[in-house]
Amino acid sequence: MISSSSTSPDSEKSDGENEGDCSASLMYRINQLKRQIQKDRILSVREKHEENKRKLENHVSELLLLATSRSDSMKNPGTGKMLSVRISNPLCKVGGFLPGSGDRDYANGEEVVSSTTARLPLAENIPPYTTWIFLDKNQRMAEDQSVVGRRRIYYDQHGSSEALICSDSEEDIAEPEEEKRHFSEGEDKILWMASQEFGLNEEVLDILTHYVGGTTSEILEHCNVLRQKHQDTSGKSLKDSGDSGFGGRIFLDKSLTAALDSFDNLFCRRCLVFDCRLHGCSQILIDAVEKQTYSSDSEDDGKPCGDQCYLKVKGEANQTKCSTVDPVEESEKHISEVGGSSMVIKRTRDTDEHTDSKMQHGVSESIKTTFEKSDLVLDDQQDSSCKRRKLSLPTAVSVAAEDGPEGNGISIISNDYVSHSQEPDQSGYNHDISLHKTGDKVRNDTEDSKKETVNHASYSKNLPDWKPLEKELYSKGIEIFGRNSCLIARNLLPGLKTCMEVSSYMDNGAAALRGGSTSFFSEDNGKDGMDYMEPDISTKSRFLRRRGRTRKLKYSSKSSGHPSIWRRMADGKNQSCVQYNPCGCQPMCGKNCPCLQNGTCCEKYCGCSKSCKNRFRGCHCAKSQCRSRQCPCFAAGRECDPDVCRNCWVSCGDGSLGEPPRQGEGQCGNMRLLLRQQQRILLGKSDVAGWGAFLKNPVYKNDYLGEYTGELISHREADKRGKIYDRANSSFLFDLNDQYVLDAYRKGDKLKFANHSSNPNCYAKVMLVAGDHRVGIFAKERIEASEELFYDYRYGPDQAPIWARKPEGTKSDDSPAPQGRPKKHQ
Amino acid sequence: MAAKVPVGCEPVVGSLTPSKKKEYRVTNRLQEGKRPLYAVVFNFIDSRYFNVFATVGGNRVTVYQCLEGGVIAVLQSYIDEDKDESFYTVSWACNLDGSPFLVAGGINGVLRVIDSGSEKLHQSFVGHGDSINEVRTQPLKPSLVVSASKDESVRLWNVHTGICIMIFAGAGGHRNEVLSVDFHPSDIHRIASCGMDNTVKIWSTKEFWSYVEQSFTWMDLPSKFPTKYVQFPSVDNEILLWEPKMKENSPGEGTVDILQKYPVPECDIWFIKFSCDFHYKTAAIGNREGKIFVWELLTSPPTLIARLSHVQSKLPIRQTAMSFDGSTILSCCEDGTIWRWDVVATNSATS
Repeated sequence: MISSSSTSPDSEKSDGENEGDCSASLMYRINQLKRQIQKDRILSVREKHEENKRKLENHVSELLLLATSRSDSMKNPGTGKMLSVRISNPLCKVGGFLPGSGDRDYANGEEVVSSTTARLPLAENIPPYTTWIFLDKNQRMAEDQSVVGRRRIYYDQHGSSEALICSDSEEDIAEPEEEKRHFSEGEDKILWMASQEFGLNEEVLDILTHYVGGTTSEILEHCNVLRQKHQDTSGKSLKDSGDSGFGGRIFLDKSLTAALDSFDNLFCRRCLVFDCRLHGCSQILIDAVEKQTYSSDSEDDGKPCGDQCYLKVKGEANQTKCSTVDPVEESEKHISEVGGSSMVIKRTRDTDEHTDSKMQHGVSESIKTTFEKSDLVLDDQQDSSCKRRKLSLPTAVSVAAEDGPEGNGISIISNDYVSHSQEPDQSGYNHDISLHKTGDKVRNDTEDSKKETVNHASYSKNLPDWKPLEKELYSKGIEIFGRNSCLIARNLLPGLKTCMEVSSYMDNGAAALRGGSTSFFSEDNGKDGMDYMEPDISTKSRFLRRRGRTRKLKYSSKSSGHPSIWRRMADGKNQSCVQYNPCGCQPMCGKNCPCLQNGTCCEKYCGCSKSCKNRFRGCHCAKSQCRSRQCPCFAAGRECDPDVCRNCWVSCGDGSLGEPPRQGEGQCGNMRLLLRQQQRILLGKSDVAGWGAFLKNPVYKNDYLGEYTGELISHREADKRGKIYDRANSSFLFDLNDQYVLDAYRKGDKLKFANHSSNPNCYAKVMLVAGDHRVGIFAKERIEASEELFYDYRYGPDQAPIWARKPEGTKSDDSPAPQGRPKKHQ
Repeated sequence: MAAKVPVGCEPVVGSLTPSKKKEYRVTNRLQEGKRPLYAVVFNFIDSRYFNVFATVGGNRVTVYQCLEGGVIAVLQSYIDEDKDESFYTVSWACNLDGSPFLVAGGINGVLRVIDSGSEKLHQSFVGHGDSINEVRTQPLKPSLVVSASKDESVRLWNVHTGICIMIFAGAGGHRNEVLSVDFHPSDIHRIASCGMDNTVKIWSTKEFWSYVEQSFTWMDLPSKFPTKYVQFPSVDNEILLWEPKMKENSPGEGTVDILQKYPVPECDIWFIKFSCDFHYKTAAIGNREGKIFVWELLTSPPTLIARLSHVQSKLPIRQTAMSFDGSTILSCCEDGTIWRWDVVATNSATS
């Protein structure tokens, strides 16, 4: 039947005469169906109602029981009978109109004069506030908190008490309801009937849109959904059996990107938390050109990482390593001396393949990892029946000693460890082919830590055990740690693979699998490259989108200006800061770099290289503590960043735990927001108006008091909220930068209660802290303990509300902050 | 916005033609001061006081009793020493040992808990940041009261120990004044609140019920109680019977099925509250022009029992109160009058 919807136009034409009949009958059918549905609806409502009635009866009887039981329990206590007493002895009685006197039109109300009134003593009230949530860190506004496009209810300004519903500007009405049309069950029925009985030609659709609403495309789409559903229900039993096996898949079978999906989407790489409320989810992933390499500390170099460490097996041969003499090495020396036939092969491997310019993913060109491979060639008999050899430490010597004289076969146990020497070794990949060949035969069986065995045949069995996820984790590990199986196993594959397995995979598996000496890394690179190419592209495209949005906002805010009243930056600068968004330029920022175009510096979160010309390079201040404009960070309105600035660092305090760490000699004094070195702020009744913020301990001039936190909202949103707040005469908006306004009305901290004064003792300053703009409140002068804090909200000349515009001197010096409330019922 | 109700989801709308099943006549009218009366409420907590009611207006709280023959007795009267106080709401509650309490709140934002058993102020609850628009008592545990405030929060209190048990607010909470709040009649864990942000929120306290239990045994200072800050959402989604508070129902987010509508003409102002009798059989609501509409609740479609009007009743009726059996309806008016309507036992034959 559905296919009739695509009937050719001429067939419709031929039906032209019937058209009227057809639509009439359709309308008749629709109306009929509609009536049926409505009747059903009324029935169903009645049914629910009846059900509710039954429930209610039970419930009410329970309540009644409670109410009657209450009077019984009252008989025991002697006190508190006043109400009962009054019932028998009321203060006064007001007679009613006698029922017999008929319908009186004129009722004379009697004044109630009560002789005795109990007085309710004054209760001290607290200044008004709106319930708010404490924030120790700014948050971006959640979508559903927007007031844009919502109807707002106000009190009538002209004295009368009642509230009005206002859509206070035409833009609200223009706000399109982008909601997808939902079809009710009844509508489903009508649509289904129409499509089944009449087909979905234009005429039918016309009538349907008239009756059901929605656009024709929506209806068509929905009809398809219905058809699908219909088919589904008929074929349901089949599907059920098919679906059942689907749920139980294990994570390990997924690819790394799939497994990391939630990480990529939810983890904030700037705040290092999941579900960051400041930067949001699904951030653009910026891949840094330069990756920090893991510098393997000495602890990882010599000692086995555990029972299953590859060093344990092969450590015996490790002679090239270090000067410290440990028993293993002694025995090794012994072996080589006694055995005579063992040889040590040094191999250096270079990871220079990584520098391939297409592979932007990672291990940087500057890092040359030199692998030292010391292979002890042990004696092995060609005898294939003797494939296993026990190599526990004490026996190793004896084995070697025994085998030495007879030795004609060569077995290799390879030993890798990574040393990150920074000197490039261009010698290339010095791989001994013969060694490699024999290496193929050498297997490690790691079942028993004490009985390490060399197994010739297990290799091919081992490899299939590597699941795709493990392989990807492994290659990530190579990327992060280099060829250090200890670290890879410990950090990336704990519980999945042992160090030894990783090592053997690294050594033999990967190489053998790819059948060539150079294939190992290039293969890895190739894979990584693929992995990275795709996100790279999407990153870029997403980036462009983001940039477009940002700019639009910027312009719109510019064009609209700031008509509403809110607190502005107090440092006097009129141009607002520009929101920083990390760029993904690789490897260098060009002219199209969004940072460059927005006029922000590149930061450590950008993808570009450290040598990017647009990067803010931090300061080199030695002893100035970065507290003056001599410090480039301070001068630029930024806090120092221990990652960027040369001498700004964080120590673990000086033992005075709990107290904010004192700024010792030479310690940077420009990281106070970052380190939250704030003062204790107290909330109390202001001496001026409403609530006020007070200081617990005395501070010196320019000391940091705390952060003014709040919701980050767009300028558009702020315009809207500003109007609302103006009506309530209380605003907590704070201009942050070109993109955001801080709103502490609903979420903030105690500093939001600091009042305005034209002669303040504090000042607010927008600082760039780790790429984010934050508002710090600083002491403008020395402030004594428990003094109230004021700062200048910096209203523009025409922005100040009336109460803030008041001429000086009407009420002390300062015009108080808006804490008054409009009275509702007066 | 012409939000069209989809086919099959239409509410059943009651007709405005009264069924005249019952008729009510004015039997008394009291003038209580000159200030508007905002609330009138019968005591349904304690069966001994089923005919006792309380009113608030201005800085006064008054307790009355309905007697036979339209007689109203004045039992108690309380005056807040703060002349600027204007009580908006009052609710009956009771102590653990059964002492009847009155809980009133208003523009000052302080909840006054009056022990009417001893005619003394029992406690004052300070905490709301702005005026209190509604106070309601949990009928199953009448020591628990819930208050709705202009500060956009709802608070749950224990009048026995004076503890603020929970605050319902936060990111998903109301975004404008909370106008009214009430407990679910049978589910002790559920609270519904409505606000000037055009939403109705249904809160569940199930998860935090231990706080409620703790509040009864708390021996330390009430201020030291770890008040639970409940943030939205803690919701259940289905409402079976959607009672009208305003002429126009404004369903909030979530899926709400408006089942029935009880139209009330000329009821387009805020703060008009309806009332039910003890059995939830009938509801009465006043309007802006001083008329009262009495709806039968247990029928579908809804039937209007009566429309009460009087030539002298022209001012907005803020709240009505129905007596235990629905035979008496009280209404309080803007001009400080209390009207008593009694059912006239005549038209039983017409049914």
